Amino acid sequence: MSRIGVFICHCGENISRTVDVERVAREVGLLPGVAFSTDYKYMCSDPGQNLLKKAIQEQKLSHVVVAACSPRMHERTFRKAVEAAGLNPFLCEMANIREHCSWVHENKEEATVKAVEIVGMMVERVKKNRVLPTITVPVTKRSLVIGGGIAGIQAALDIADAGHEVILVEREPSIGGHMAQLSETFPTLDCSQCIMTPKMVDVANHPKIRLYTYSEIELVEGYIGNFQVTIRKKARSVDEDKCTGCGVCMEKCPIRKIPNKFDCNLGMRPAIYVPFPQAVPNTPVIDRENCTKFKTGKCGLCQKVCGPGAVDYEQEDRLIVEPVGAIVVATGFDLYNITEKPKGSMIKGYGEFGHGKIPDVIDGMTFERLASASGPTGGKILRPSDGKEPKQIVFIQCIGSRAREKGISYCSKVCCMYTAKHTMLYHHKVHDGQAYVFFMDARTPGKAYDEFWRRSIEEEEAVYIRGMVSRLYQKGDKIVVMGSDIAVGVQVEIEADMVVLATAVQPQAGADALAQKLGISYDKYNFYSEAHAKLRPVECATAGIYLAGACQGPKDIPDTVSQASAAAAKVMTLFAKDKLEREPIVARVREAGCVGCFACKKVCAYGAVEEKEIRDRQGNLIKVVAYVNPGVCGGCGTCQATCPSKCVELDGYTDEQIVAMIEAL
Amino acid sequence: MTKSIDTSIYAAVSEAIRAEAQRILSDGTVTAIVGYAAARRKGSAQPIVISSADDAAKLIFTPACVNNLAVYLTKAKKEIPKKGKVGIVVKGCDLKALSGLMGESQLKREDLYLIGVPCAGVLASTVQPATELTSDSIAPKCTECDAQLPGGCDFVPPQAPLTPGQTRKYAAEIARLEALTPAERWAYWKEQFSKCIKCYACRQVCPFCFCEQCLCDRNKPQMVDTTPRPAGNTAWHIVRAMHLAGRCAGCAECERVCPMDIPLNLLNRKMAKELKELYDYEAGFEVNDKGPLNSYTEKDDQSFIK
Repeated sequence: MSRIGVFICHCGENISRTVDVERVAREVGLLPGVAFSTDYKYMCSDPGQNLLKKAIQEQKLSHVVVAACSPRMHERTFRKAVEAAGLNPFLCEMANIREHCSWVHENKEEATVKAVEIVGMMVERVKKNRVLPTITVPVTKRSLVIGGGIAGIQAALDIADAGHEVILVEREPSIGGHMAQLSETFPTLDCSQCIMTPKMVDVANHPKIRLYTYSEIELVEGYIGNFQVTIRKKARSVDEDKCTGCGVCMEKCPIRKIPNKFDCNLGMRPAIYVPFPQAVPNTPVIDRENCTKFKTGKCGLCQKVCGPGAVDYEQEDRLIVEPVGAIVVATGFDLYNITEKPKGSMIKGYGEFGHGKIPDVIDGMTFERLASASGPTGGKILRPSDGKEPKQIVFIQCIGSRAREKGISYCSKVCCMYTAKHTMLYHHKVHDGQAYVFFMDARTPGKAYDEFWRRSIEEEEAVYIRGMVSRLYQKGDKIVVMGSDIAVGVQVEIEADMVVLATAVQPQAGADALAQKLGISYDKYNFYSEAHAKLRPVECATAGIYLAGACQGPKDIPDTVSQASAAAAKVMTLFAKDKLEREPIVARVREAGCVGCFACKKVCAYGAVEEKEIRDRQGNLIKVVAYVNPGVCGGCGTCQATCPSKCVELDGYTDEQIVAMIEAL
Repeated sequence: MTKSIDTSIYAAVSEAIRAEAQRILSDGTVTAIVGYAAARRKGSAQPIVISSADDAAKLIFTPACVNNLAVYLTKAKKEIPKKGKVGIVVKGCDLKALSGLMGESQLKREDLYLIGVPCAGVLASTVQPATELTSDSIAPKCTECDAQLPGGCDFVPPQAPLTPGQTRKYAAEIARLEALTPAERWAYWKEQFSKCIKCYACRQVCPFCFCEQCLCDRNKPQMVDTTPRPAGNTAWHIVRAMHLAGRCAGCAECERVCPMDIPLNLLNRKMAKELKELYDYEAGFEVNDKGPLNSYTEKDDQSFIK
């Protein structure tokens, strides 16, 4: 006979405002099997939990129902409390009388009746709960970090410094990401390369970090603690072990006029190249699309001049399988490009800005390359069209961002600060020039950020105009900027030499495809979703996968680095244990009835269903049935819904329990 | 207007089956063959399992060979000693069921020796076995057949059936029912289901009802009322139709064996039509690892999400 204890929570006033909790406690106390029922203001608080523990012991309770908020909120809390009182935690269920009842109803009488029914259902369900032993799975103490920008580098270094092996995978030929492209960084104006490149070298030299550049994630299998990741190492055409990085091949390559993506296509590079001189690894890669040898079979000059014989035209893509226990996703961002409407994107183009056809209208990252000492102009700010120094420069903020009519409603967060920085860099380099900024409002929360912005106006003479630009067009060698100054209420027209657009921060192309490989969720813009916006900001809902940096949402460098270290800390927490405990809410097969059609195996998203042979004592095969690997099972219940003879059931959600709940209504 | 159907090839087909059975049993290719033999009444036929080459002469194929023998390889498989390959005589519709069973891991192609039958049609269950095959006496399923010549078999007699254009009897009936109002349609099915006596003959004869324990026989929890009353009858027939959706090959054995003449294959055809419209899926000769209801593609119809 069950001795069920029911604990009704007021949730402050959240529940008791619309549900007569005392009446609920009274009425469910009369249900068969209920030995004890009570209500309390905050069941989740320390006194609330003590009340529950005390009742379990004093009343000799066999099962517990806590009627409160969603199980997603506090199921773990109460199961822990139940366990502390000596009961198996899975003999505790939650009845959600907040989200499912008090929050969505106004009539107290009706809401109270409904609350009684919800609790009654859970009472019937908990009667059929089984004692479930916790499942333990081993942990592979190696981590995968996807993306070699500042986020990936920081996470990799932190995890590796804690003594765990890290596999760092980067799509481009060098690590460094966008931060390596920047000139100076706000709010201190220290040189990006100067603070970035030492970290890149640390990664390359770290004994615990294995670096795969020019590589992509092909396949991710497994689960927390036990992932199997297949990495495609693209053919570099240069043997990394033999190459000394002398650079002779790059000097001799006859193809020289390929726009360098790293320099936002302003600088040129040969067909065999490193993206920038400080690249890590300093091993060139052959751009097979533009290389004469690959296009026509002739040339082969780089191979002839290579002393160590590292150039290898026959190299092929290699697939490498790495077992890891945790994954940090740090794939970063890309800037919205006004020139073309990205395929499948919800963002509309900017026809009023000439669709990017005006050569001296550039984006913020291109300005960074112009201002960078290692950039294509050696740090001189020159117009892409004719190489002249712009004397009037206009910065326009919120291009794409905060523009619902263009398809993006979020704020890109970094543009206010980097535009302020740009006006300063411009002022430092073009003393007689004038910078104008069109802005909606300046968003400068952050340590020393507002001071920085004010400095750009008060000391560096940038003119901030509150209002947006309606049109840009070329007139002679000038760009006419037509906008409005809403502070004064007048139309403004500026003849600028150069225009810099603070275009929206977006996830990298292919972010959705990677999310599908990883099995993590993403929002409508393809930013990856964290498990909880406030309390679990670096964890994915998929266990064992963590987020760092701008792939989760627009972020500046300090935030990115903090998040990367936070993700690394989560990985280290996971690796602190040798075995991982996980919820035993997994599917089980009733082998006697299983007929081996393997419909469950076909629908299982986790690959948890295996084929198991049933043999008699003589070893003769009787039949082949399905077997659910409890370490892999995600507890989603799809198999249960699919099985035609209902021979696979999810513990805690068996058909018997569901039917009992329905019958209780 | 009654049109006669040419079944003259059946004699040659029977001859070829006998010769092939004789050969594969003698040389040990198979240990047994499931086929048809003459039964006691004039012109009738019954399933037979032979394991000796001497019995090959018993095999026949006539318009009375209605049974889907696939069922003998699943539910009745314990009757056949599993010592090697088993030969089976299959019409096109039966072969579709076998393909489905292979897709559901119930049979392996390498364990079977398929003797395909070029089939111009078989007799309806409502006529005497010795009746001549005409457009009136033909089984309704044969009026919609697109599988007169089985594909991918180990042996098919070199004969081609003549298939005159037929009035598609199920299609016509589905169209009639679809034109009704939901209330009228419900009244029609309510009446049909009320006839059910829960004998489960439809379940026993269906090659796809291979579960060791039927969901409808379970009592913990009791999913379906087992008594032949309206609620239980309706539940049973809906479960049966839903479980066959995307699997049923249309052999219509359920309808043939129903003692109460419930038009069971009509439900199956309607489900097949839905599957064709929603997922462009039709049961065929090829073995599909995943049926349309066990898989997801981005092209799937999403209109049910409101």
